Amino acid sequence: MSGYLLRRLIGTVLVMWAVATLVFFMLRLVPGDPVAAMLADAGSAEAEAALRTKFGFDKPVFMQYLYWLGNMFQGDFGNSLYGNNQPVRTILAEALPRTLSLAGIAFVIAIVIAVPAGILSATRRNTPVDTGVSFVAFLGLSMPDFWLAIMLIIVFAANLQWLPAIGYVPLSEGFWPWLEHLILPAIAVGTAFSAIIARMIRSSLLEVLKADYMRTAAAKGLTPRMIMWSHALPNAMIPVITVVGIAFALLISGAVVVENVFSIKGLGRVLINGILNRDYPVVQGAVLVVSAFFVFSNLLVDLLYGVLDPRIRYS
Amino acid sequence: MSDSLISPDDTATAADPMPTRRRSRLRASLANDRKAQFGLVVLGLFLFGMVFAPWLSPYDPNAMTMDMMSGPSLGHPLGTDDLGRDLLSRILHGTQISLFIGISTVLIALVIGVALGLIAGYSGGWIDLVIMRYIDLQWAFPNFIIAVYLVAVFGTGLVNVIVAISLAFIDDFARVARSMTLSLRQEQFVDAARTMGFSNARILFRHILPSAMAPIIVQGTVSVSYAILGEATLSFLGLGVEATTPTWGLILADGRGFISQAWWLGVFPGLAIMLVVLSINFIGDWLRDVFDVRESL
Amino acid sequence: MTDDEKKRLRAEWTAAHDFDPRDPMLGLERRELCGPRMSRRATLRLLAASGALTAAHLMPGPVGRAMAQGTPGGTLTCGWAGVAEITTLDPAQIGQVLQFQVTSNVLSGLMHINADLIAEGDLAESWEVSEDGLTYTFKLREGVTFHNGDPFTADDVLFTYERSSNPEKSIHSSVLANVANLEKLNDHEVRFTLKQPQASFLTKTLERASGRAMTIVSRGALEEMGVSQYGLTPVGTGPFRITEHQLGQGVVMEKFDNFYDPERPKLDKVIIKPVDGAEPLAAAIEAGDIQYIGGNPIAAQLIDRFKQNPDLVTDVKPGPGFQSLWLNPWVEPMRVENFDKPLEELKQEKGFQVRLAIAKALNRDLYVQQARFGYSYPAHGTINPAMGFYFEDDLSETSEQAFDAAGAQALLTEAGYPGGEGFPELELMVRPSEKRDGLVIANILNQVLGITVKPVTTEFSVQIERFTAMDFQLRLGGSGGDYDPDDALVDWMMTESKFNGRTRDTDEMPFGFFSEAEVDRLVEEQSVTADPDARRDLVQKANRITSDKVACGFLYHPVDVQVRHKSVNFPAVSRIPGLNDLDRVTLS
Repeated sequence: MSGYLLRRLIGTVLVMWAVATLVFFMLRLVPGDPVAAMLADAGSAEAEAALRTKFGFDKPVFMQYLYWLGNMFQGDFGNSLYGNNQPVRTILAEALPRTLSLAGIAFVIAIVIAVPAGILSATRRNTPVDTGVSFVAFLGLSMPDFWLAIMLIIVFAANLQWLPAIGYVPLSEGFWPWLEHLILPAIAVGTAFSAIIARMIRSSLLEVLKADYMRTAAAKGLTPRMIMWSHALPNAMIPVITVVGIAFALLISGAVVVENVFSIKGLGRVLINGILNRDYPVVQGAVLVVSAFFVFSNLLVDLLYGVLDPRIRYS
Repeated sequence: MSDSLISPDDTATAADPMPTRRRSRLRASLANDRKAQFGLVVLGLFLFGMVFAPWLSPYDPNAMTMDMMSGPSLGHPLGTDDLGRDLLSRILHGTQISLFIGISTVLIALVIGVALGLIAGYSGGWIDLVIMRYIDLQWAFPNFIIAVYLVAVFGTGLVNVIVAISLAFIDDFARVARSMTLSLRQEQFVDAARTMGFSNARILFRHILPSAMAPIIVQGTVSVSYAILGEATLSFLGLGVEATTPTWGLILADGRGFISQAWWLGVFPGLAIMLVVLSINFIGDWLRDVFDVRESL
Repeated sequence: MTDDEKKRLRAEWTAAHDFDPRDPMLGLERRELCGPRMSRRATLRLLAASGALTAAHLMPGPVGRAMAQGTPGGTLTCGWAGVAEITTLDPAQIGQVLQFQVTSNVLSGLMHINADLIAEGDLAESWEVSEDGLTYTFKLREGVTFHNGDPFTADDVLFTYERSSNPEKSIHSSVLANVANLEKLNDHEVRFTLKQPQASFLTKTLERASGRAMTIVSRGALEEMGVSQYGLTPVGTGPFRITEHQLGQGVVMEKFDNFYDPERPKLDKVIIKPVDGAEPLAAAIEAGDIQYIGGNPIAAQLIDRFKQNPDLVTDVKPGPGFQSLWLNPWVEPMRVENFDKPLEELKQEKGFQVRLAIAKALNRDLYVQQARFGYSYPAHGTINPAMGFYFEDDLSETSEQAFDAAGAQALLTEAGYPGGEGFPELELMVRPSEKRDGLVIANILNQVLGITVKPVTTEFSVQIERFTAMDFQLRLGGSGGDYDPDDALVDWMMTESKFNGRTRDTDEMPFGFFSEAEVDRLVEEQSVTADPDARRDLVQKANRITSDKVACGFLYHPVDVQVRHKSVNFPAVSRIPGLNDLDRVTLS
């Protein structure tokens, strides 16, 4: 097990290194000069030269890469090319709680809706309830998240004025201000995820209910309720656990889009703006953090799966 | 990890080398699948709209008038946009782009991905190792994120968007194809073909591939809906096709600054995306039932 | 405007320009330049000389000058339009108006101009200018403290000067190029020695907002928090102190209790939120989430909507600037290798015929209605209506590039593209926020000339690089801050203008987008011509040549809009062009 863990960890780090390297080199091949943009307003030739030296743009690309890699190992992601050259680490550290807040609330909302819906739909298979749940789930899966976000803003922010249309307020300024700014974006991010979990729970539960040991349990005289809670659900949840991993994929990529609609400067917005502005260090840092999420959540899911399902053993 | 709804490891049972039986099963199951019927009809309508958009559109989709932001009326069934262009005509033309991108990207990804998966699974060894290392790398990220990275590097525009979305979907197909190949490689009919001295290519494409088609088709169908959503999202973020091409995502993005004065600019293009994606999902679900490809994540 | 007002305006204008530009003292007496405040006359003269005086400066302030003042206290929440985050507030890095709009409330300079156009000492209590105009001795205010409690002394002026004249630390180092030396006489006295006499030194270099080079920074705070944190929450001696700044979330400023003027600021707290996008901005001010809009110009479609809202005060005036369709003269089929020919001769060249056809085809009235929702003025040159006196109304009818569909079609036919037949597709580079504008231009050109123009949205960083390298076909762009003919002509229309193909390949392209010897001569002459009527003639002549010879296809002059909730009292004395000084603002 520990050998496996080590191998997986090394693999994980290698994947992240590969991604970072690819992004570093590819972003330098595309047009767009950050220094020119920075000096667009007022810049003398010598100020421009000074800036180029400062950011190492005068060195060969490969040297820039080695320099960058060395710094990264010391926990230094470099500084943004724009504005006051904020350290990328600070930008990411500020963005992270926003995205995590958004993803966390989206996760909670999604689970609260999806679990009962999935159970209901499996236990009342082929009834109008099942059909209804299934239809709504399909709708949720088919709706573009940014469109849902816009619709939510039109209805709940612009017309009803129940909730703020944009922005983010940190938790330190109070629970409600924080939550109120996140409800609409969280619904927009969480809907597709919720639909997937509901469907997942339904099919997994149906599978389990067909299994032999369920018949055994029924033969032992257990009530359907007891069977459901002590046998069927725990077993059905095993494959559902994988959605923890999927959750990150969906919630983070959802956040990339939805943060842009709601003007929340989370990881996604940092990433997209970084790409659009050719702010190399920011893009690299954001990609690394986002990548770390995916890669480590994959690892976590694999390990969790092994713990929950005794049939899987790692050697 | 990926947005894929198909787990490649659970598809081994789906091999069905008898296409005729499959076809009759398709027809039989369609009769009692309302969702699939709905999906086929709606998708059919959109495909019709796609083919005949130039004739169905009441106006030139890019023709501007001073009749800006007027609501749905007889003259403009879905209203006009912020530059006085007819929204219905724009959405109809958007159907062409969106469906074209959705289908073409999946076809490209399918061809490349399946080829990679077949080669990796069939040859094994270092070829398998190299291909799968790459596929695993890509698999670690959601398709949409990969598409964003790629568009950022290649730049925007129709061709670049198609390339980006296609590449983003390759891993899904490669994994499905590889796992099918791995299980089929051991099958008797492959052994038989090998002893008869058929070439590897012939075995791969004439024997293994047809048997692996079912899960690939299901994967392909579902991927089309993700590709359409992906294109709409990229366009919306400003990473999509040219500014003058009316795609659904772009129509939404352009209308975004005006939706409280003209709700139709926000509602109708989004509805179009949702209806098409919903239909494809229904069809995918039905195919999955028919082919008995277990849904997984 | 009454006749009396017109007379006053005229007199002030003439007086302001009544100097010999070759005289470094601009005809001002030495004592006029000294003081704890300068006379309006001297300030106007200095503004005129540094190219910052506009007719708009002289206009009576907006209504409500005597408006009952609200009570002190309260919190004002502002939206900063068209921006997702206020990236930096470090004066050494500031390059955008929306940034120094914030710092003007937080940091101080030695001088500041108020809306009555009187240059006052800000941190300077008084100052003396030497006979030869080369040394400026400042007496600094005593008892001033920084927000962090450090006392303000001459050392801070020295520190700011050191920092700002270092090109590695400041992008404004060139502003200080004329300073030979700065010395500390004692803790509250400093002396600047200039290389050349420069009367505009006071309003150009030392002004706190637009100057930026000598906006006083706190050494203690910089060393304690580091440059990047200082860029977020700069510490100064201004009326408000920044208590919080998270990128993308906004700036929180609170009243600085130890501000040197105990009467200011009135407000307890100001929150500045960046708001990107038209709909969120409208939703925010309509719902009362914000009460004041600063930052970038608001989207044109919102102006009518705000005007109709009885809860809002919406003040629209001509804005200083112009936007154009730039035509690269090194790209076929609009290639022109030499503009130094008589107009009639140029008109025989196919490349010029195409340029003129495109410029003539620009239906500016339609464009303003469709793309700007009526809020803009058609442009035919860089000189804008906010420059009042210099603006030439006739140009819209007499310019070669005045809209004329038939004439444009005839020219294109003559150039060999009847009805646009055989004309290659051209790419029009626009910023994402200008996409609508690009589409309207493409549509107009297609309707009038039958040619295909494809708008391509390009991020600002890419666009600037390609524009200055002359690597484009068509581009939509221009200027937003031209207060004086100098800004418009010197920065844009001369062969050596800073935007005129600065990074182009000079072997391939001897000049950038435009070069005309007569224009260069006229522009140089006007900037050393004191007599306003004579200067106006020179400016208008140069402007007319750039228009007739199609330096670009001029499109429109933007408007300047201030939007606030009616409960916000914004005294006229604070309506300084381009700024949002909030220290006198009250709520009722």
